[in-house]
Amino acid sequence: MSPPATAARVGTEPGRDTADATPEPGSARTPGRVAARVRKTVLYCEDILTENGTGPALPARQAVVAAVIENPWLGTGPARDLAPEVEVIAPVLAKALTDRLIDALGGVDAIEAFGKAAIVGTAGEIEHGGALIHTPWFGNLMRDFLQGESIICFADVRGDAGETLVVPMWHKTAAATRSHYQTISARVSDAPRAGEIVVLAAASTGPRPHARIGDRKTDPTVSAENLERDPSW
Amino acid sequence: MVVRKIVTLVEEIHLEGGRPVAPAARIAVVAAVVRNPWAGQGFVDDLGPGIDANASDLGELLAPQVLDALGAPAEAFGKAAIVGLDGEIEHGSALIHTLKFGDHFRKAAGATTLLPAVEKRGPAGVVFDIPLKHITDATLRSHHQTVEVRIADAPHPDELVIALAAAAQGRPQQRLAPLSTEQ
Repeated sequence: MSPPATAARVGTEPGRDTADATPEPGSARTPGRVAARVRKTVLYCEDILTENGTGPALPARQAVVAAVIENPWLGTGPARDLAPEVEVIAPVLAKALTDRLIDALGGVDAIEAFGKAAIVGTAGEIEHGGALIHTPWFGNLMRDFLQGESIICFADVRGDAGETLVVPMWHKTAAATRSHYQTISARVSDAPRAGEIVVLAAASTGPRPHARIGDRKTDPTVSAENLERDPSW
Repeated sequence: MVVRKIVTLVEEIHLEGGRPVAPAARIAVVAAVVRNPWAGQGFVDDLGPGIDANASDLGELLAPQVLDALGAPAEAFGKAAIVGLDGEIEHGSALIHTLKFGDHFRKAAGATTLLPAVEKRGPAGVVFDIPLKHITDATLRSHHQTVEVRIADAPHPDELVIALAAAAQGRPQQRLAPLSTEQ
């Protein structure tokens, strides 16, 4: 895994310029620490070796990366346009979080499923979290960086520090692939503070341990109408 | 030894007390979720055979992984044994309070002190804090710290979570007077 990046500050400089640049590792312009004031990052990975007593046929590693940032909209009203900060902060987070995922999961080609999430501190609106993960400034870039095509599934919540959030994932190029519907539980012990937002990106290198519930191609036709015609029901 | 899963946690602190931490303070934890080797056996008097069969393997499994996850020389370390609800605390203690377990970490990290530990029994998803101290001087206050861990679905009642933690530095913004100034 990569050594820690250094330098933690923000700035007034436009984030888009920095997001487009390829920063030197560990430099002050490392994405995630220029436009967003990142207090901490947390990487959590799971490798399942056995499930229900047997090793998976296709072993997968799941990872979720969290970045804790100051909520840039504290004290603003519900009519406030969120776009100016989104355009600066979200691309930098998308780059920083996906870089960590790619590093933790052994390269972008190894990643098969993805998801995203936000935990908003109690002084903010859910809309603030949504602003950082639901616009193209995060979602399109995360999809591009992870070489996906699917819409990215998500979870969001407002809560106190230590809130646990289950982050859903599905296949990055074929969202309906049932074997890849999976989740990872994410939690930062001391975040978000009331004035913070935790932004998360998750990914997995494979399916569930023993995926065996078919797929759209193998399903029989099941409908409410058919069910009502079935005398045994 | 049946390992269900391995969990890796890496925390990097970039700001503390409102001030930058450079380089970022880094702590890593690697935990193995394993079947309690004494599960279903009632009260086992002699834990020795189970210790011999498992403790060294666990230390050997976890030590290189936690140092790899840290990605820097370890300056502080700690360990944990979290026991599922059907087990005894003694089962977790048995596997981590033996040189057979800890020596792998000490050797790999160049450490000389004993590992501080947490032993706790709880349900799946229990939150636990792993204490860490300096790897060669357990009195060094700057390196007294903890890291908090939670695994959503572990330990099951018949499982143990065995973990190692490593930090690349002391607390961010550490600034306490050394112990010697009070002696």
